[in-house]
Amino acid sequence: MLKKIKYLSLLIAVSFSISSCEKVIDVKLNTSANQLVIEGNITNQLGQQTIKISQSVPYTETNTYPVVKGAIVNVTDDKGSSWIFTESAPGSYTFGQLKGEPGRTYTLKVNVNNTLYTASSTMPDSVVIDSLDVKVFAFGSEKQKQTQVHYKDPAGVANQYRFVLKVNGNQSKRVYAENDRFTDGNDVPTVLFYAGKNDDDNELKTGDNVDVEMQCIDKNLFTYWNTLSQQTQGSPGGITPGNPPSNISGNALGYFSAHTVSKKQMVVK
Amino acid sequence: MKLFLFFLLFSVASAPFYLSAQQRFAISGTVRDASTGETLIGATVKLQSPSQNTGIATNAYGFYSLTSAEGEYSLVISYSGYQTNTQNITLNKALKFNIELKAVSDLQEVVISAAERKNENVKSPQMGLNKIDMKDLDNVPVLLGEKDVLKTIQLLPGVKAGGEGNTGFFVRGGAADQNLILLDEATVYNSSHLLGFFSTFNADAIKDVSLYKGGMPSQYGGRLSSVLDVKMQDGNDKEYGVEGGLGLIASRIKAEGPIVKNKSSFMFSARRTYIDLLLKASGDSALKNNTLNFYDINAKVNYKFDDKNTLFLSGYFGQDNIGIKDLFANDWGNTTATVRLNHVFNNRLFSNTSLIFNKYSYAIQLLDEKSSAEVKSLIRDFNFKEDLQYYSSNHILRFGLHATHHRIAPSDITTSANSSFNPLSIENRYGLEFAAYVSDEWTISDKFNILYGLRLSQFSLLGPGTINTYNGSGEVSSSSTYKSGEFVKNYFNLEPRFSASYSLSEKNSIKASYNRNTQNIHILTNSSTSSPTDQYVMSSNNIKPEIADQVALGFFKNSESNTFEFSAEVYYKWLQNQIDYKDAAELTANKDVESELLYGQGRAYGLELYGKKSKGKLTGWLSYTLSKTERQFDKINNGKYFNAKQDRTHDLALVAMYNLSRRWSLSANYIYSTGNAVTYPAGKYNVGGLTTYYYTERNANRMPYTSRLDIGATLKAKETKKFKSSWTFSVYNALNRKNPYAIQFRDKENDPTRTEAVQISLFGIIPSVTYNFKF
Repeated sequence: MLKKIKYLSLLIAVSFSISSCEKVIDVKLNTSANQLVIEGNITNQLGQQTIKISQSVPYTETNTYPVVKGAIVNVTDDKGSSWIFTESAPGSYTFGQLKGEPGRTYTLKVNVNNTLYTASSTMPDSVVIDSLDVKVFAFGSEKQKQTQVHYKDPAGVANQYRFVLKVNGNQSKRVYAENDRFTDGNDVPTVLFYAGKNDDDNELKTGDNVDVEMQCIDKNLFTYWNTLSQQTQGSPGGITPGNPPSNISGNALGYFSAHTVSKKQMVVK
Repeated sequence: MKLFLFFLLFSVASAPFYLSAQQRFAISGTVRDASTGETLIGATVKLQSPSQNTGIATNAYGFYSLTSAEGEYSLVISYSGYQTNTQNITLNKALKFNIELKAVSDLQEVVISAAERKNENVKSPQMGLNKIDMKDLDNVPVLLGEKDVLKTIQLLPGVKAGGEGNTGFFVRGGAADQNLILLDEATVYNSSHLLGFFSTFNADAIKDVSLYKGGMPSQYGGRLSSVLDVKMQDGNDKEYGVEGGLGLIASRIKAEGPIVKNKSSFMFSARRTYIDLLLKASGDSALKNNTLNFYDINAKVNYKFDDKNTLFLSGYFGQDNIGIKDLFANDWGNTTATVRLNHVFNNRLFSNTSLIFNKYSYAIQLLDEKSSAEVKSLIRDFNFKEDLQYYSSNHILRFGLHATHHRIAPSDITTSANSSFNPLSIENRYGLEFAAYVSDEWTISDKFNILYGLRLSQFSLLGPGTINTYNGSGEVSSSSTYKSGEFVKNYFNLEPRFSASYSLSEKNSIKASYNRNTQNIHILTNSSTSSPTDQYVMSSNNIKPEIADQVALGFFKNSESNTFEFSAEVYYKWLQNQIDYKDAAELTANKDVESELLYGQGRAYGLELYGKKSKGKLTGWLSYTLSKTERQFDKINNGKYFNAKQDRTHDLALVAMYNLSRRWSLSANYIYSTGNAVTYPAGKYNVGGLTTYYYTERNANRMPYTSRLDIGATLKAKETKKFKSSWTFSVYNALNRKNPYAIQFRDKENDPTRTEAVQISLFGIIPSVTYNFKF
């Protein structure tokens, strides 16, 4: 709800500013040494589970991130099971067929050049997408179409969600995270405002293929994604950006998330 | 503390010694404008004889009192823009002398310029004070031609604008919520309209604006950085008048006049924007149903029972409405009401008693059928103030009490039955602030003046409520439930205030000051722009009172019969118990909001230069600020000091007004400022399929600088005895420079393997025209 309010307030503020404009500028930046980045996901979908290890690059470089090879990666759960992940592609560590189970806590251990990084995440109970539809907003004469996800939030428990939106295969550049602080136990319609490759590419058009993945995530991951979400929404004059709080020990960037997955597709009419 | 009591006792005890030498008498009265009956604030009243020379400035109600030995004197009353009045008097008993000054007409201005203007800025021990001449306000060009008190004070040294076109401001490195904004003594919590582009102060209704940046007199308290004391006009008690203006986005009208001639008057002023009326007029049916407006109303009446008793009633009501049909509506506004009684006990003791109500509230409605909800929030205060001023030979003693009861209703969410949102109500919080103060302005000699005082401030968080204490990681460590009126937590602070001036000559002085201020009402906002949904919290088990200590040193100089005024001040400020936020802090409608806070400290220092020319065809001022402001939090930036957002090294403002002819006057202002301190990425990586930025140091980078020229011209139309009118033309950002509002980083559109920085600018060149009339 609050995000919706913020988004709408921003929209009004921007439409009010008669001649707001953008230009690309040169900026003076700090540079930093490459940092270790771990991105680990365990899902409730039977299949290959992947832990990716890479490095950050200075801002001025191209978006090609060096992979980290030769790490020792294993995952354990709170029932005593253990899985050793193997490097199936450079920097990509996988375990063949594995299905995470809700309620179980998974612990990741990564050893890179004798430095140990650990993280734990508990997979929440699964909540699935009931349906997708198109929500039409009328701002003045312009009608804007956006994706709306419907789901039923379970009552009495705290739930956190993350959504991944793809339109015609292109992932939206916005991070979507929400919890049930205001919606516990209800049928929830959530609008995912699309952010494409530029400012003109921020709505759905007839014929677009929309893919939505809904994840149920634990509280730490919600803080992680929500921090990123507040920054990527990039309201001018907004919050001071910072690194999202990682659940990985040892100053690595990234996250380790045990989450459930529910997917749906639609074609925009 | 001991030293202070000693001082006070000594100074008061020494008064009888002066008295014993020769019989002394007091002369007192009120200074008013001859044509409107408005009391004149800060007019200079001097009692001169070949052997004696004492002077004083009238107080906020135009009252003065001077004491001197028996004898023959000339009483000289002067005020900027008015003809000086000189009276010969024989002081052989207590005298009552009310004076009316005539305003200088344009024609006389040149002739009168030789007359002595007040030299108060050099003589008075008060420093860190800026006053705005309301006449300048008519001429300074501003955005869309809406003359604005808050945008004009941003052109003063030590005051930084919150952002392009924004009325938010930062004083001497403090935060935006550390400014106490008073309208006829009532606190205005949110001083912005339309998301900050306009201020709540309708210039038509305002008589006097004083900004205290340092050396705060002890009658003011409750905020760390500054006091902006705005006083409304009383209304003409001699004849009726109507004036108004038609602008591009708003119109205003003011009416005033006597209720009982020379005894009682009223003033009523209103303003409304009509952007939405234009929207309605447009053919677009969808646009028609959107809302975007604000209005405000100022009203005041007064009644003079006799020479000793005057009653004032004043009020303000303002509201903003924005909304999109079937989707969203948001309204917010302030309400204030003040009842005041001036009572003159005798010609040395002046009293003002005030009862004040003020409220700020907002409501947001989500109108979508499936997610309908209404969020309401408010902060409300009741105040009682008693302020007494006692005038003796070389002292002005000021003492009083101030009690405030606060109620904060953080969030009330109501929903319809089929809404996806649940109703939620966050407990109200109650607080009681109590302050007692005393100060003494002591003219020790012709050269040496001091103003010293002490303010005792007490804050209590009151029940009812369930109050949690949180540990460092934000978990509840203890929880207690309190009954209504029960004391939850008390804080007691002593705030010493001291300033002194030493005259090097008639026109030069040096001044020094120290003051401590404390603050128990805090805004929670992690956005740097003013938002109607700002949250207020009070000091509590978790939040300690914010404390600031400031020292300042200054040099003040007037030259060429006070045509030129110059000042240079340096200051250093220490800030304690400052507030920042954890990552992804949930500040709205969160009963555990205090668990989301971090506490730290700050420091700010700077140099302010100010030069003003107030007479002649060309008038205006130049202000320059060199400053630094930093914060330190254990959990931010690895515990190292970092630049506060509003840290800007250089700020320059030049304001010039030129009287071209009887009909035309021209004006221009130019501002330059270093860019805000911002956090830029140092690296990048990929998570969740998106380019994600890596940050190393908070606020270690700079936005590009801001530079803007605004120009204006006023044309007076031919006037008749009954009707005057004028046209004001202005061009905002005349050079059409794209000034930075925000910088964003994103993947390049044509080359997704690269990232780029994008500057967002708000306003290009914006011309406007306003028609003003008076009859």
